[in-house]
Parts: sequence; structure tokens; C-alpha cells
Amino acid sequence: MRKEDFEFVDSSLKQDKEQIRTSLTYWKDAWRRLKQNRLALVGLIAIILITLIAIFGPLFTAHTYREQDNDKINTTPALDIYQIDDGLFVYVSRQYRLFIVSEDGVLGDLLVNTETNVNLRYKTYEYNGEEITLDYSYKFSDDPEYKDIDFTFTYKDVETFEKHKTVLNKTYPFGTDQLGRDVMTRVFYGARISLTVALVATLVNLFIGVAYGAISGLEGGKVDNTMMRIVDIINSIPLLLYVILLMVMIDNRGLWTIIITLGSVYWVGMARLVRGQVLSLKNQEFVLAARMLGVSKGKTITKHLIPNALGPIIVSMTMMIPTAVFTESFLSFIGLGISAPTASWGTLANDALGGLELFPYQLFFPSLAIAITMLAFNFLGDGLRTALDPRLRKG
Amino acid sequence: MNNGKIPLLQVVNLKKHFVSGSRLSGKQVLTAVDGISFEIYRGETFGLVGESGCGKTTAGRTICRLYNPTDGQLIFDNIDITNMSEKELKPIRRRMQMIFQDPYASLNTRMTITDIIAEGIDTHKLLTGIERENRIYELLEVVGLKREHASRYPHEFSGGQRQRIGIARSLAVNPDLIICDEPISALDVSIQAQIVNMLEDLQKEFGLTYLFIAHDLSMVRHISDRIGVMYLGKLVEVSDCDELYTNPLHPYTQSLLSSIPIPNPRENSKKKRIILEGDITSPINPKPGCRFAPRCRYAQDICRQVTPELRELGEGHTVACHLVEEIKKGFNHESD
Ligand SMILES: Nc1ncnc2c1ncn2[C@@H]1O[C@H](COP(=O)(O)OP(=O)(O)O)[C@@H](O)[C@H]1O
Ligand code: SF4
Ligand SMILES: [Mg+2]
Repeated sequence: MRKEDFEFVDSSLKQDKEQIRTSLTYWKDAWRRLKQNRLALVGLIAIILITLIAIFGPLFTAHTYREQDNDKINTTPALDIYQIDDGLFVYVSRQYRLFIVSEDGVLGDLLVNTETNVNLRYKTYEYNGEEITLDYSYKFSDDPEYKDIDFTFTYKDVETFEKHKTVLNKTYPFGTDQLGRDVMTRVFYGARISLTVALVATLVNLFIGVAYGAISGLEGGKVDNTMMRIVDIINSIPLLLYVILLMVMIDNRGLWTIIITLGSVYWVGMARLVRGQVLSLKNQEFVLAARMLGVSKGKTITKHLIPNALGPIIVSMTMMIPTAVFTESFLSFIGLGISAPTASWGTLANDALGGLELFPYQLFFPSLAIAITMLAFNFLGDGLRTALDPRLRKG
Repeated sequence: MNNGKIPLLQVVNLKKHFVSGSRLSGKQVLTAVDGISFEIYRGETFGLVGESGCGKTTAGRTICRLYNPTDGQLIFDNIDITNMSEKELKPIRRRMQMIFQDPYASLNTRMTITDIIAEGIDTHKLLTGIERENRIYELLEVVGLKREHASRYPHEFSGGQRQRIGIARSLAVNPDLIICDEPISALDVSIQAQIVNMLEDLQKEFGLTYLFIAHDLSMVRHISDRIGVMYLGKLVEVSDCDELYTNPLHPYTQSLLSSIPIPNPRENSKKKRIILEGDITSPINPKPGCRFAPRCRYAQDICRQVTPELRELGEGHTVACHLVEEIKKGFNHESD
């Protein structure tokens, strides 16, 4: 083989005629895969809705999260209404507060209680100078004849036994709490707080974890060893216990305290993940090329390593948010979280505990919100994991 | 050919060992590069050839200090770079570049072509603004690509085009020496010649010096001035290109050459094909002796006991084999 044998290509033909591979970019491909995953899409849509509700929801409700109506305490989301006169409907709360209510469920005034007879189990109220008598003794009667009757109302000498119907509470769709605050507004507002805490804490974790892991992985050797032993030590402490201790020690329990507490603790997993990614990336040729060009370590991390590890980082972050939502709720629930009147879902759940037997809806709505959020993020995270996994990116 | 010239790069007894395992499980030393010495003179191309796994990449990466040498000395343009820190190396790095083997792994897929090529320019703050932009267009044209390609991403290019981008990236900092680590091995055969020709043109145009790594003698003959043949971490023969092809002295070189198909079949039939027997020995915890001995058909007892050193047997032609003289007689005899 001689030199001349190679000269068959004219230098004007330098452009090669190889077929250009029509490959999708990483993100387009990932999006295509994600779209095929129905559960992940449901999760994504739910997350978008929850976020929109968190941002705009409190603006559009008729009440504010801290506004109390001392009359309308503990009203339920569904109202059993009784027609005691033509076009006159009443609703009796579980604490025997009597309200005028419209037929379609708009709550009117609280009627003044004029007399209470505990022995005979009746109460009287005043409406437009007339007396309404509420007899609730049937509720306690063992006679099977009365088993379908809860209350009777006597108004203008006419006794009403039968419930007219059950309507949804138009004034307070999720009911009110023991201070007469609108539960819906509070749940929406709680979304703001809970999501803010979760998101910011996750971002803090992300920042610490990525920086720590990347430095550890890139430096390697003794530095890596020391840094990873520290991670092992932190990891061996039950983190929830640590968070609880930290929150107990801190007096001023505001939004930022909990964000910083959560943010400073849960980065260990992220650090490990990023380190692993960096270890596998740092000997790839494009990183070596950067080293050959004299690119600094910091630039190598931000321009080469992190962008190429973004897939797993995003997946892990998506999985971190529900954990943070849950931890925040848990802390608030046990009374170590955000203090009143600021309300997160956990605080709402905590507030609902007192009247749990009579007013379970007060616990139900915040719990539902927590559950939906956690599920949505987990669905999305799972979907992202498959969509971004390079091993599955063959098709 | 080297008389009076100063080498641009001197590699003196360079070693790179990878240590694995702990003290408990028993340390394993992988002697990827085990004492190689050669010089590269300004403007020439030194071909480094050897089977896959013999330590060529490790040698290339240790030479440019991507790996820290275990032992030996590296002198680049009269500067000892063996123990320089990363910071001290930065100005040296500008003058010593590398072209990588895998065009799919050597470009960051998250960066545009402009950013990839400009990385060196930006790092060394060579140019900014419009000058930088023009320089990138110029480099793209130099490697046979178009201006329009500047804003695209690597995934839009073929292997050959990606290799051109990698070449443009290394040229951007005006290097003196480029280490080409099997730059054509991963490419389509039809593209290989184009890239080699381009590298030659670039060498003339910019006065570049190449360390050209290949696993096959046929690939380096065309471009190299001198060639070093590597076997399991050691150089077994170093010679001028033409001399090596006409007068191979080491049994390993002979077997490598005999496996190259010859364009002229009549000529081919004259030559006996030497088929290597036995497996390539492991480079882990090697024993003394010639590393080629298990596969060498001339091997004697001395080969298994004493490690052969490089000896000069003619001008600029060095061989590491105990029995060169004897084999030479035999080899000539055989081909008669
Ligand atoms: N970073 C590393 N750590 C441990 N062993 C390595 C490393 N890089 C290469 N090796 C080993 O060194 C030997 C030479 O590898 P390499 O230099 O890549 O060979 P070549 O480029 O000639 O194919 C191989 O046995 C390989 O397994
Ligand atoms: S030293 Fe011995 S074993 Fe090694 S190549 Fe020469 S003859 Fe073969
Ligand atoms: Mg190699």
C-alpha cells in the first residue's frame, strides 16, 4: 500500500457523503416517550392544575384564607335542607346552629337561638318575629318507627319531618372550619405554602446535592473519599428525627425555617446520584477534550457534566418534591411546621383533628390534596425515569 | 533524518500503571504503558501502532497529561511537563491538542457546534465578538464544513462530519502538536481516506506535528514519517516509515506487516502470512522477559527470563528483541 493509493479523493470533494443520521435530540425524544405514558401525562396535567390553583385559586374565591365568619362555623360541604314554609329553607349544622338557606344551597343568616332545653331535646330560634322549634330528640330515640327521622321543625304551627333534599354548599364549597374560615380557600392557599416549601426545599437540596456530588466525583481520590464518608455519616442518621430535633430547637417557625431545614437535609441522595453520573461522564472523550483545552473544573461541571446528567437529576428532583410535600405536611401536622395563621396542608390537617368525628371533611380535603399531589409527582417521576433512561432510548 | 534537529516532544521511559484492588484483596498493577521512549520532531508525524489494548490510548493521554505518569519524563519544547500542575499546564495545553477516536463520544451533544469549536478560544481568551465568529467560520471551512453548520447540534452530523468538528476544535487554539488517537478507526472506510488526507493538508498548512495512533500498520504508513510499534505497554520497534515496511526486524512487526493485504496479488503470494498464535498476555502484574514471548515463534529461554531493551540496529532503527540478528538471517533466508 503506497501513498498514491490514498489519493483517490479530490480535496474539493472533502464533504463526505455519508448519510446524516436523523436522530432526535435528547429532549424531543424524551418528550415523545413521555407522551406515550398515560399515567405520567395525567400526573403532569394534575401538577399543572395544582400549580395554577395554588397561584390563582386564592384570588378567585370569595373569601380569604384568614377571614373568619363567627356565625358560619363548621358548615359542611353538603347541606341537608328542610322546607319549613313556602320557599323558606333551613339548614341545621351539627352543632344545632340554624341557618336560613336558599333552595340551591346559598347560606343565609344564622338564626338567633332563643331557648335550649337539653332535657327535652329541643331548641327554639327566632325568625322574623316567629319562633322555629327544632326537636332533635328523634335522633336519640330507639323507637324503630322514628329511625328515619333526624329532626322535626315546627314553624307557624306546621311541623316538618322530612328533609327537602341535600344540596351542595354554594357559599363554602368545602365547608368552613371551627373558626368559620372557608376550607376551600384555605386548601388552595395551603397549596401555595406546601408547594412553595416543597419546591424551594427541593431546589436547595438540588443545589447542594449537585454541587457536592459533582465536586466529589470530579475531584476523585482522597477528596471524593472524604466527601462520600461524610455523606455516609449523614445518611446513617434518621433524617426525619434530625429534622424534628432541628424544628424543635428553632423557635421562630416560619416558612423559611422549614424550607432551610428540609433543604439542608435531603440533598444526600442527590449528591450520590450526581457523583455517580459524574464518575461515568468524566472519562468520556468530550470531557477529556475540555480538559485538553484547559477548561476549568467549574466550567466543566456546569457546561459538560451537569447538562449531560440532567435526565437523572430531573427524575430525582421530581421524586424529591412529593417527599418534601409529605415531610412538610407531617411536620405541620405534628405541630412543628408552619405556625398559624399561615396554613399549609399539614396545618389544615392538624386543625381538623379536634373535630374529626363531627367534621371529617375538614381533614378530608387537605389530605386529598396531599395525596393527589404526591401521586401526581410520583406518576410523572416514574414516567420521566423511563423517558429519560438512556438504556431505553434505543427505539 | 533527526540529525541536529530538536525534538518538539521527548518521551523518556514513560510509565503508566493502573493500580486496582485493595491491600486486603491483593493489589493488581496493570502496566498499561511500561517504559516507552521516543522523540517527535517538529513538523513530522510519528505513528504509534499496536493491537487494541496494548496501551496506545493510555500512552497518548499520559503524554498530554490527561493521566499522571507513574514514572518517566515528558519534555515538550524543552519544558519538563512531567509534574506540572493543571494550572501550569494550561498554556501548554493550548499548544498540545488531541483528536479522539469516537466521534460520537467526543462532542458534547448539549452544545452547538459554535460553542464546541469556540471552547478553546473562550478558555484562553484568544478572540471575542465578531473576530471569534469569523474564526469559527474559517475553521469550519478549513475542515470542509459550512458556515451554516455553526448553529447546529452534533446529532445532526455524521461520524465523519463530527470528526471534522473535533479537528476544528483542536485547531482553534493554534496547537503545535496534535495527538490523533485512532481518529479514523471508528469511521466508515469510505471516509477514512478523506480524513487522513485532510489531516495531511492541515499539517502542511499549519506546520503541525502529529502523534498518530492506529491499531493497524496500513493506516499509518500513508501519513507517518516514523513509526513506533507497541506491544503490551512497550515499544518493540521504532524506525523510519519506509525502513520499517521494507525491513521489519521485530517478529511482532513482521507479523503485523504480513497481515496487511497487498494491492498486487502476485507480490502477495510471494510473502508468507504469519499468523499469531496464542492469546495476548495480560498486562496485569507482568513477569520479566519479553512480553511477546508466548506468541513468538522464535522464542528461546533467554526471552522468557530477560526483558529485551531497545537497541539501535541501523540509523534511527531501534528494536527490542534478543534474537534480531539471528531472525534477520532466517527471515531473509525464508523470503528468498
Ligand atoms: N483508566 C483505566 N483504568 C484501568 N485500566 C485501564 C484504564 N485505561 C486503560 N486501561 C487498561 O490499559 C490497557 C491499555 O488500554 P488502552 O490504552 O485503551 O489500549 P489501546 O488504546 O491500545 O487499545 C488495557 O488493558 C485497559 O484495560
Ligand atoms: S525477544 Fe525473543 S520472544 Fe521476544 S520477540 Fe525477540 S525472539 Fe521473540
Ligand atoms: Mg485506544
